[in-house]
Amino acid sequence: MLFLGTTIDGLQMGLCFAVIALGVYISYSILDFPDLSVDGTFPLGGVCCTIFMLKTGMPPIIATLLSFIAGALAGTITGILHVKFKISKLLSGIIVMTGLLSVNLALTKVLTGTGYTTTIFSYNSVGIEGLFGGKLAGLLGGGGKDLMIIIILLVIVLATKFIIDIFKKTKMGYMLGATGGNERLVTYLGKDSGMYKILGIAIANGFVAVGGALYSQLYMSYDNTSGSGKVVLALASVIIGMSVFANIRIIKNTTAVIFGAIIYSLCLNYLVLVDTQGIYTKLLNAVLFALILIFNDKISHLIKGKTYSKKAVKEDA
Amino acid sequence: MLELVGIDKVFNAGTVNETTIFDNFSMSVKTGAFISIVGSNGSGKTTLLNIISGTIPINAGKIILDGDDITKLPEYKRARKIGRVFQDPAMGTVPQMTIIENLSLAANKGKKYGFEFAVDKKKTEYFKEMLLTLGLGLEDKTEIPVGLLSGGQRQALSLLMSTMTPIDLLLLDEHTAALDPKTAETIMELTDKIVREKKLTAVMVTHNLRYAVEYGNRLVMMHEGKAIIDKCDEEKAKLTVDDLLSTFNAISIECGN
Repeated sequence: MLFLGTTIDGLQMGLCFAVIALGVYISYSILDFPDLSVDGTFPLGGVCCTIFMLKTGMPPIIATLLSFIAGALAGTITGILHVKFKISKLLSGIIVMTGLLSVNLALTKVLTGTGYTTTIFSYNSVGIEGLFGGKLAGLLGGGGKDLMIIIILLVIVLATKFIIDIFKKTKMGYMLGATGGNERLVTYLGKDSGMYKILGIAIANGFVAVGGALYSQLYMSYDNTSGSGKVVLALASVIIGMSVFANIRIIKNTTAVIFGAIIYSLCLNYLVLVDTQGIYTKLLNAVLFALILIFNDKISHLIKGKTYSKKAVKEDA
Repeated sequence: MLELVGIDKVFNAGTVNETTIFDNFSMSVKTGAFISIVGSNGSGKTTLLNIISGTIPINAGKIILDGDDITKLPEYKRARKIGRVFQDPAMGTVPQMTIIENLSLAANKGKKYGFEFAVDKKKTEYFKEMLLTLGLGLEDKTEIPVGLLSGGQRQALSLLMSTMTPIDLLLLDEHTAALDPKTAETIMELTDKIVREKKLTAVMVTHNLRYAVEYGNRLVMMHEGKAIIDKCDEEKAKLTVDDLLSTFNAISIECGN
């Protein structure tokens, strides 16, 4: 039963993180921009969504969608710092991530109204009902709540995936890909590649914030420190997914990333079974990621396909 | 018509490494001209192309393209009227996108890149016909990422992509230098064909003196930011590789090489 419970938790967490991973897929994989602001935009999404729901009584879905805008705004700042002020990609991300720590704290303060609290800002079940509480999740009765959560998360994740897939096929999506693959070409097509970078980073962080919003609703709490390690988590998901399925052409990159997030979250959850006190969580997190990077090639060769991989091409070039 | 008027270009101004590339350099390129520019390393050939395209700013002077002063325009805005093929075959295409995807991107140059689907079935047929004329067998590889093609195939594609939409000027930046001799020949012939068919104005920088002599209708040899040879039409037709070589040698001796 413990194992089953862990698997369910892992699945829920994985689906929640899949949304973040899809966002990071846009910045890291399509735009070739390792964006560290994710650590800040994840909790930003969570706190904004919580404020919208608790302070304005907004329906959770609207609150979740609005958190996309909050994340996108933060992402825009990262993009502008890099494009307009020529600050390196990593540093632009770090600057925004650091700044957001205070922004998130200030927003938390608005929520509590009691002043300075750094640690867990936890509203219990009475506080955040979100997408997962209330009537919808109750449809399958008490025991079906976990399943219902998975179904709702799955719908959201698939919707995100299809939006990204369709966007990738549009002219604008192509330009985003071209910006990541060969910026000079975008310039020679008469467009400002910087604008596409800003746009891409904004969209990516929008999805990350939605992930944060879902996370705070899933666990019915908001924690200012919840952002730490999310970059690693999302990058790991993207890299696992894309290397496991690199040689299978029918599986789209977006699908691969979703599986990557689920695989990674399950691994993390099973590790918690071993490390019951949770002391080594982050260390295990890091070691797992390192192992994945080390065995990256071997994983993709385990699953052989007939055709080439698009990702391999990008790395060669 | 492209006019460069009184161009000054200084690198690292105000430092010990200060290098003056151009001092009051002027040149004009008639519409329909196909200029080959040769010269030793550091003579200012590539800098000249970068100045025209807006990749690097100038210290003084004016650049006028078809009557419009483009001196202050950023590179991407100038690029709407300028096509460019680089020395590195990877520079002209997006490696992880397929041939069709690359061509679709290029065919849309000058228009809006909005939310419409980028690949159009009707256009795909047209692209395949176009690839057929290259004679490189690319029409059967349309779904293959460009990164997997050879340098020559990529360069042919780059050439096609940069001349697909109407442009006022084509810049060729040693575009055959990274290719093997036979492929270089093919690309050069293709370049000549496209320039003739589309009646393009082209500026080609090359280290291959034979190409400079054989192709185009004007030849310019650069040295220390000046055009030391500048021959058009009949005069250019009389030039031989040996003439160029002897001038080259004279310069080298002068420089103490």
